[in-house]
Amino acid sequence: MAVRIEKTFEVPEPIDKVWALLSDPRNVVSCVPGAKITEAVDDRTFKGAISVKVGPSLTEFKGEVKIVQLDPQAHTIELDGKGQDVRGKGGASMKMTGALQALDSGGTRVSTVSEVNVVGILAQFGARMMTDVADVIFKQFVERFQQKLKNPEAEPEGPVAPVSAARVVGSAIGHSIRRVLGGSNES
Amino acid sequence: MIFPTSPEIGGMGHAVKRKEDARFIQGKGNYVDDVHLPGMVFGHVVRSPYGHARLKSINIENAMKVPGALAVITGADLAAAGLAWMPTLFHDKQMVLATGKVLFQAQEVAFCVATEQYAAADMAELVEVDYEELPVLVDPHKALDPGAPILREDREEKTNHIFHWEVGDRQETQKAIQAGAVTAKVDAVFQRCHPAPLETCGCVADFNPVTGKLTIWLTSQAPHAHRTLFALVGGIPEQNIRVISPDIGGGFGNKVPIYPGYVCAVVASLKLGKPVKWIESRSENLQSTGFARDYHMTAEISADRDGTVKALRVKTLADHGAFNAAAQPSKFPAGLFSICTGSYDFPKAFCEVDGVYTNKAPGGIAYRCSFRVTEAAYLIERAMDVLAYDLKMDPAELRLKNFIPSDKFPYLCPLGWTYDSGDYPAAMNLALKMAGYEDLRKEQAEKRKKGELMGIGISSFTEIVGAGPAHTFDIVGIKMFDSCEIRIHPTGKAIARLGTKSQGQGHETTFPQIIAQELGIPQQDIILEEGDTDTAPYGLGTYASRSTPVAGGATAMASRKIRDKARKIAAHLLEVSEEDLEWEPGKFFVKGAPSKAKTIQEIAFAAYTNLPDGMEAGLEAVHYYDPPNLTFPFGTYICVVDIDKGTGEVKVRRFIAVDDCGNIINPMIVEGQIHGGLTEGLAIAFMQLISYDESGNVQGGNFMDYLLPTAVETPNWETGKTCTPSPHHPIGAKGVGESPNVGSPAAFVNAVVDALSHLGVRHIDMPITPWKVWQILQEKGIT
Repeated sequence: MAVRIEKTFEVPEPIDKVWALLSDPRNVVSCVPGAKITEAVDDRTFKGAISVKVGPSLTEFKGEVKIVQLDPQAHTIELDGKGQDVRGKGGASMKMTGALQALDSGGTRVSTVSEVNVVGILAQFGARMMTDVADVIFKQFVERFQQKLKNPEAEPEGPVAPVSAARVVGSAIGHSIRRVLGGSNES
Repeated sequence: MIFPTSPEIGGMGHAVKRKEDARFIQGKGNYVDDVHLPGMVFGHVVRSPYGHARLKSINIENAMKVPGALAVITGADLAAAGLAWMPTLFHDKQMVLATGKVLFQAQEVAFCVATEQYAAADMAELVEVDYEELPVLVDPHKALDPGAPILREDREEKTNHIFHWEVGDRQETQKAIQAGAVTAKVDAVFQRCHPAPLETCGCVADFNPVTGKLTIWLTSQAPHAHRTLFALVGGIPEQNIRVISPDIGGGFGNKVPIYPGYVCAVVASLKLGKPVKWIESRSENLQSTGFARDYHMTAEISADRDGTVKALRVKTLADHGAFNAAAQPSKFPAGLFSICTGSYDFPKAFCEVDGVYTNKAPGGIAYRCSFRVTEAAYLIERAMDVLAYDLKMDPAELRLKNFIPSDKFPYLCPLGWTYDSGDYPAAMNLALKMAGYEDLRKEQAEKRKKGELMGIGISSFTEIVGAGPAHTFDIVGIKMFDSCEIRIHPTGKAIARLGTKSQGQGHETTFPQIIAQELGIPQQDIILEEGDTDTAPYGLGTYASRSTPVAGGATAMASRKIRDKARKIAAHLLEVSEEDLEWEPGKFFVKGAPSKAKTIQEIAFAAYTNLPDGMEAGLEAVHYYDPPNLTFPFGTYICVVDIDKGTGEVKVRRFIAVDDCGNIINPMIVEGQIHGGLTEGLAIAFMQLISYDESGNVQGGNFMDYLLPTAVETPNWETGKTCTPSPHHPIGAKGVGESPNVGSPAAFVNAVVDALSHLGVRHIDMPITPWKVWQILQEKGIT
């Protein structure tokens, strides 16, 4: 099941500082809840793991992230990721492109497009649920990314536990209800 | 003509209340999951997340650390015992547990056994399986492309093609189509759907190491056939296997095949010497057990300008998934699909079907259907509407013009079936009258002027049921007869045992009614027992509306054997010759002296106390009935829909169902069968689809995505009947269980298409969801 997730956010930091953080997958991964880099194969290839809790079952993906393209002038990065659940519950692959744009305010706009293809139990949640799962993960990512920008040395605060799908489901239902009731849906 | 019996006797035609309901409505049924045995342990299946992948390794170390863990069985373990594969009912084989590769998502990979059900599930979480993903094939139309991945490495033929089958006269049909004034063509997909019975599949396998006896409580529609298959495949002596099919919460064809979970539970019980229970979850049922349909069909009807049909040509691609596990016992790869000429008098016809493998769950089973009859009925009824559209003719008029004339029965159709009896105009005319068809058409014309969307759909289907004659059907060579054994007790009460197995059809009520009709013993004095292979006579089970046509025939014939003996005893008791006796249900009396009579109860007592010289004691009989032909129920369904232009929602305003299933045993049960089948048909037409994404992930594998109809969606069903008895059946009955599921999808779809026909819509594939209709409305500029 392929899902395309486009996300844009702005941070009040200059583009070079943001780029320094974003262009190193080790930094990026440390901001993803439940994810970690376990090994640098070379300067562009990294092995890592991410855990997502779906109901009672912990899905633990192990895989590889590779920088396919890195353009410091244009401030664009392209990543390929591929992973498999350690217990054989499924797999996922991802192609992500990120681009930075300097804003007149002195801040930076971060735009990302991710194409995620999921196979297995997670995929059976259907595209709607996947998008909502991604929303929750992304929201936490942005918070932690911003913390890291302010203080690059510190480990980001906030949840380091894997994203729990029970929480995601609750949150997704909230989103759905808001959509039905005509409320705004900021994500 | 059925001799009328009193309500006390309650023979055929009485709306006797269902005996089984007393326990069902009080929650006192006894299903497989209600079976609890001392020392029983539990199994849980580890399933593949991938649609197509190479199995590199399985690590059970952590799983075996779970408290209560007893064993993990893998494909390699089964291979060592020669059980990694099992034969399917249709000349293919299927993996029990995967070895080498997995071929569909949710395929069985390992079987965990533990002392508690939860522990077994926890074990399954901890079995580590290493897969290497392979390219996935989900589109049957791409299965035969040169670049397509070859799925089945076990087969000698390195192709995804399973079979080609054709019937009819290709050249003559081709000529007729070329010569025809009009050819109406439609491409129609009967989507992959699933019966989703309320009770999922499961079993308790209990091997007793002391006696060597294996008892299996099984969700089985065919317990005897399953016993024989376990004996043949597993090498266990058949007398040491006892299959018990207890109460079953709906089968609809889903419980005809043997599933890997059953085999694993048996293997685990043999290995551990303990009873092993395995019960599927809902998602496991939807994702791995027999799906239905998935036929990709094209029909072409050639006709004169006045609507007279000349020829039918059908070409079909059948998606069987990873294994051809079609649970059908006919000798034809596409089952009875060649009934596709339906109710119409086609001079020429030709039908061809190609089956292919894809990375999907294996099947397909006959979901409330006689082996592809539903697909055939849907196709011809859809195609007739397309022809009516192309000719700008009224669809009722077109059908009436082309029906097989009532005086042409028995009718040999161009694809080889001999229809036993029919009176199609009678059913159609009654349905038109009940619907007020002309007024509906007027109303539709008025509404169209106002821009409102209303449609009327007709389906005048013909069924083919009652598998079946030995020349057409068998299961591993076993003929498709069925059986009934009746024992009359000294007090005139009786027990009957049959080779069939009710899953909600009401056998405990209807079969005693047949005996009541034949012997005059009150139906409430007769109990019925089915589903235990140690006690019931051999039979092939219940599916394909075969119980009444086959076991019903056996029941009548066994009753008549008893009546023949009863006549001899009555003659002895009344001291007259047999020829001097006359019978009416319940008693023999002397011709011309009706007061000189002996009741069946008196005769039964005499059978044990006062016999003529030389006669064996007792009053019992067994009969194995091999029907001479199938039966051909029919009917006309009319559906009226209104479409909400804003949302695309289709509301079924009315549904008129006129069925003709020959002589009726219990009109209330027939009506219940029709209500149930129509509701399933509604769900298929509007709600249900099991699809796969391009990665092989099953979509529709749970009740969030695979919808069941509720009282909210279900309209009021208006039923009517005509009666054209089967001339070859002992009680003139034809079978009715599947008619509403077979006949209704086309009526629903024809109604929706009719509502949109003035916009140029000729066909919409099922399920017709609001989203699909809304898109069409947007495209046509209707808001």
